[in-house]
Amino acid sequence: MLFFGVVIWMIVWSIIGSIMIKRRYLARDLDTSNANFMGAMAGAALGPVGIAALWSRTPTKSGYLTVGLGLLTVLIVAVTFSFADPENICVTSGGFVASQFVNGLIIGIIYGFMALGLSLIFSILGVVSFAHGEFYMIGGMSVYYITAVWFPGVSPLIGVMGACAIAFVLGAVFERLMLTPMYHGKIDRPVEYGILVTFGLAFTLQYFVQATAGANPVKVQRYLSFPRWQFPEDGDPVWIKTSRGSLTLFDQVSISSPRLTAALTCIFVLLALLYLLHRTWTGKALRAVSQDREGAAIAGINPDRMNMLAFALGGMIAALAGALLVQAFSWLPQVGAIPAMRSFVIVVLGGLGSLPGAFLGGIMVGMVEAAGTGCVPDAQKAASYIPAYGMIVLTLTLLLRPTGMFGRRFASSTHGQH
Amino acid sequence: MKKQIPNLAGGMFLILLLVFPLVYSKGDYDYIMHIMITGFFYAILAASWSMLSGYAGQFSFGHMGFMAIGAYTTGLFCHYFYISPEPTGLCTEMGFFGQYLIVVNPIGVTSTTLTQDCLRQAMDVWGDTVKVTPMPVFLGILLGTIMGGFAGFLVGMLVLRLRAAYLALFTLGFSEILKATISAEINITRGQAGLELPPLYPDGITLLGHYYGPTAKLPPYYTMLGLLLICLLILTWLARSKFGLFVRALREDQDAAAALGVNTVRYKVLVFTVTCAMAAAAGAVQGHYVQIITPNMLFLLQMSLVVAMAVIGGIENFVAAAIGAIILQVVLELLRNSFVIGGVEVDMTIWRLVIFGLLLMITLRFFRNGLIAPIIAFFGREGVAEETVAKRSAGSQEAGS
Amino acid sequence: MTNFKLLTATAVGAIMASGSVFAADCPIKIGGMAPLSAPGTVVGGEAMRDAMLLAEADINAAGGVLGCDIEVVIGDTEGLPEKGTALMEKFITQDGVVAVGGGYHSSVGVASKDVANARGVPVVFAETWNDTITGDKQKYVFRIAPLSSWASSTIWQYVLTIPGIKKVAILTENTDYGIPAAEETKAGLATGGIETSVYSIDIGTQDYAGIVERIKADRPDMIITLATGEAGYNFAQQAADAGIGPMDVPFVASQVSLESKAYWENVPDGNYAFVQRIGVPESMFTDEGKAFAAAYKEKTGKGAVESYAMEAYDSIAILAQAINEAGSTDGDAIVAALEGIQHNGTLGKIFFPYGTGKAPSEDGHGDEWWHQWPDVALTMIQYQEEGENSGEATIVFPDAYKTGDAIIVTE
Repeated sequence: MLFFGVVIWMIVWSIIGSIMIKRRYLARDLDTSNANFMGAMAGAALGPVGIAALWSRTPTKSGYLTVGLGLLTVLIVAVTFSFADPENICVTSGGFVASQFVNGLIIGIIYGFMALGLSLIFSILGVVSFAHGEFYMIGGMSVYYITAVWFPGVSPLIGVMGACAIAFVLGAVFERLMLTPMYHGKIDRPVEYGILVTFGLAFTLQYFVQATAGANPVKVQRYLSFPRWQFPEDGDPVWIKTSRGSLTLFDQVSISSPRLTAALTCIFVLLALLYLLHRTWTGKALRAVSQDREGAAIAGINPDRMNMLAFALGGMIAALAGALLVQAFSWLPQVGAIPAMRSFVIVVLGGLGSLPGAFLGGIMVGMVEAAGTGCVPDAQKAASYIPAYGMIVLTLTLLLRPTGMFGRRFASSTHGQH
Repeated sequence: MKKQIPNLAGGMFLILLLVFPLVYSKGDYDYIMHIMITGFFYAILAASWSMLSGYAGQFSFGHMGFMAIGAYTTGLFCHYFYISPEPTGLCTEMGFFGQYLIVVNPIGVTSTTLTQDCLRQAMDVWGDTVKVTPMPVFLGILLGTIMGGFAGFLVGMLVLRLRAAYLALFTLGFSEILKATISAEINITRGQAGLELPPLYPDGITLLGHYYGPTAKLPPYYTMLGLLLICLLILTWLARSKFGLFVRALREDQDAAAALGVNTVRYKVLVFTVTCAMAAAAGAVQGHYVQIITPNMLFLLQMSLVVAMAVIGGIENFVAAAIGAIILQVVLELLRNSFVIGGVEVDMTIWRLVIFGLLLMITLRFFRNGLIAPIIAFFGREGVAEETVAKRSAGSQEAGS
Repeated sequence: MTNFKLLTATAVGAIMASGSVFAADCPIKIGGMAPLSAPGTVVGGEAMRDAMLLAEADINAAGGVLGCDIEVVIGDTEGLPEKGTALMEKFITQDGVVAVGGGYHSSVGVASKDVANARGVPVVFAETWNDTITGDKQKYVFRIAPLSSWASSTIWQYVLTIPGIKKVAILTENTDYGIPAAEETKAGLATGGIETSVYSIDIGTQDYAGIVERIKADRPDMIITLATGEAGYNFAQQAADAGIGPMDVPFVASQVSLESKAYWENVPDGNYAFVQRIGVPESMFTDEGKAFAAAYKEKTGKGAVESYAMEAYDSIAILAQAINEAGSTDGDAIVAALEGIQHNGTLGKIFFPYGTGKAPSEDGHGDEWWHQWPDVALTMIQYQEEGENSGEATIVFPDAYKTGDAIIVTE
């Protein structure tokens, strides 16, 4: 009861705050892009006091203040929760919180990586690819077919690379065939065209795979089995213990081998990607196109080629995420729907088109889902609501700060902001 | 004369639909009628979606969510509320004018028939002495429509600042949250087990001296067709009025429209409210027709069907979208049968959807106005205002170059 | 193929007894419901489809029914109740089926039975467990699958025999198969003083890490999975990764784990899992069962025959026999024949003791025993070797069928 009372109090004041502060900034002809969010956070964290303070000292808006207020809000919610439900396992067991935290972090890294592909596509083409989940699915399926059906016994590394190659080619061909007309103003509303045509691709791919591969769940054996090992030999608690499928830290936190290898690969590939984007000519050209299409064209970069590269690369990233997770999850043609939704949440949270935002957003969404499944008191329902947790983050972000954490306004109208 | 051809063809098509249930008499009558009714259902969704997304440019992926709001409103209303002349003494109840409004307690999903809600328990005691009246279905549908419109109004208010991709993602999120909630709150909504609804005409209906039972197909056929026609009429009226002009202005350039004095907020919210109410009405009627609803009707696949139907019909022309939906629904159903080519059995239950997806992409790529809208436009061009003609021809020349 | 000789014999007998040969429309069509696309459990659906088509071939090879071949019209329910009612309507009005077999998801069965009953077309449900399906006492509705309340009792009665179990965690899908089954299991376990916590999930869930951690923190002595489809595989393997899998605590895996090949591919660390199985062990199969198992394995390349495949096969075969005995394709005649039938099926001798002739209450049974085969053998098996076939796995419960002792991993 206490908890809901506080939450309602916070919601009411955050709504009041977001409206009032927005009005205030509007009336003073100031930049309102962030006022909503800051007002909401001030209202939620400090109630009327916060709003009044913000109101009286109007142009104090800053990133630090907003982040500080946001963190304060989260803290208040957490503290109230622990007072309201002192029996809850999230309050009583530190080990449980740690394991949920690590789990959220690891899966967050993988999903953040996948969302990065979506963000890359958006930053260059201005299209939200609705086929992202299907690239993920194709990635996993390809590894299965390469390592278990076509060439049994082949190294999983070859399977993963093969999956990336297949997705890259698929992305490039699709872009050439279907997306080219939207670049030169031949279509009235390119954003909607992009959404619809990738939607069509998703539909076709999913049913094509179901028609050819069937709908039995398949899975690839884990790429890496740990030896039995522990350190220190007879410590209490044992710091690190490994067995075939998992690694346990301090007897509390266990991480499965598939997830660990997937997360580490993701970080490694992310670093490679950053190198590509910032240190090579192609990468610089990509970034140039995302910043200023016409300018890049004048500088001798062919934007159309960059479009193709971005779409293929984005699809490949999703496929890589799938290729890494096919060792952790059972794989079906419709397996892409959930990660696709999650990617949407992440890119919106991080800011559409922002690469660091996508990665950070991924980790945050991983955390929110872990907290949601771990801490909701009613065990019956906690897991049933898993699909909703991320979506709540999505809608809240869009309402309070549509540009997300690291969002920027795109100059070109192709990016959905006319 | 040429411009009358689409009107004539449309009239013929309509007459065909109107007399179809009366003249068709083959053994698979009920099945064909079922396909047609579902076709009309999708036609309402596709038409209202094309008004919202194609005409007004508010690209929404949450249309099935509003449909579900309509269906679940009437479903829950008919499931939990009853009127009885006697108090049960077990349920939450409220007396008025000598009658009692009974609110039945949710018993959740059970496997045995032994667990009974409070009203059933009371009725067992009463025997036949007390007649309990269920809520009128029509009232439920009306409530569902209002709730859908209200939800559309709220979402419309919330998304004022969002455009294009952001709007699509927001509405998708809305629909997913709704789906998760309905699936998780099993005690009330019965989740995946499905909420059972009374038939559209619980006591049957007598039309022109002929009695039709509650499961007969003819009354729901005309109900759904009537609803479709009403929706199309409202949409046509809106499109031809000042509203249509402003809404199109909204699509083309929102800022310019606002600068020219169009109250963009008002029209944006209005178009959301109207189209979402239509989706909700369709959902409510369909819910009573199939008599069972599950959260799976919010599956993204269902939404993609509506989108694909509208696109293939013609996304910016709601009449074309509606016709496209009816035709595609019929074709999709008839394509279900598998066949054998060269010894290989082709399982059409899945391949038909692959073909459908390809058709969607090809239509988008090469026939941007859909497959049906251009036919209407070709004949009806003389009737269109001069400037639109100029714009269309300019557009097609550019596309052709 | 002895049962088909028997079938033909009965057919001839029936024809001679009635003294006239019916000029029915050939071929006689029987509907076969199965979930063949998502969100239905496609693994189960495809197995049932294969089994029903085998039944069609076998019956026709044995001379068909009433002098005609039969044709099993397969329909996809997609696991959706509303599609199920539409499919039933299509079967009856478009395809002109005289009876319907198969059926996997309970919610589909609950919704579609009303359509069939209203139209007077007999249905023999194969794998829909929810008690209300027969509990509504509809004239045209039969079932050879076990009752949900009854199936749950096998699980909890078995759990009660394991020493040292104080706390059980149940993972269930939030459907009308999972929720009632979880409640019944919980109630049953409570009779032995066992504490139970229930976690329900949406069937589409893929990542169980959070919920697994939560169950782990609860420190249950045993875990029971009541989720169909790939959810069962995903949960078992992810629980194993986190150290509470079948090799760490006594673990009842989901129904789909009977499909051994897919199980070992998807749950490589799934040794020592318990699975509930319908029907006697393969070594105790009837002749019909052995013949079917051989044909089915050859057709599908699977290592073992799943119980729902056998139920699906029987649902078609029993209808064929009933039509023969009725001597007509009329719904009422088929129902009358079914109520008096003695069918030698793959699962054993199938019969329906309660119905219009005798109400279940006369023997003190609940309504759910109406048109219900009461003799389904329910066993608990345990995989005791990696890669083992479900047909050869050790049967640990009940004692009547027991082939070996259970290995309790915590001991």
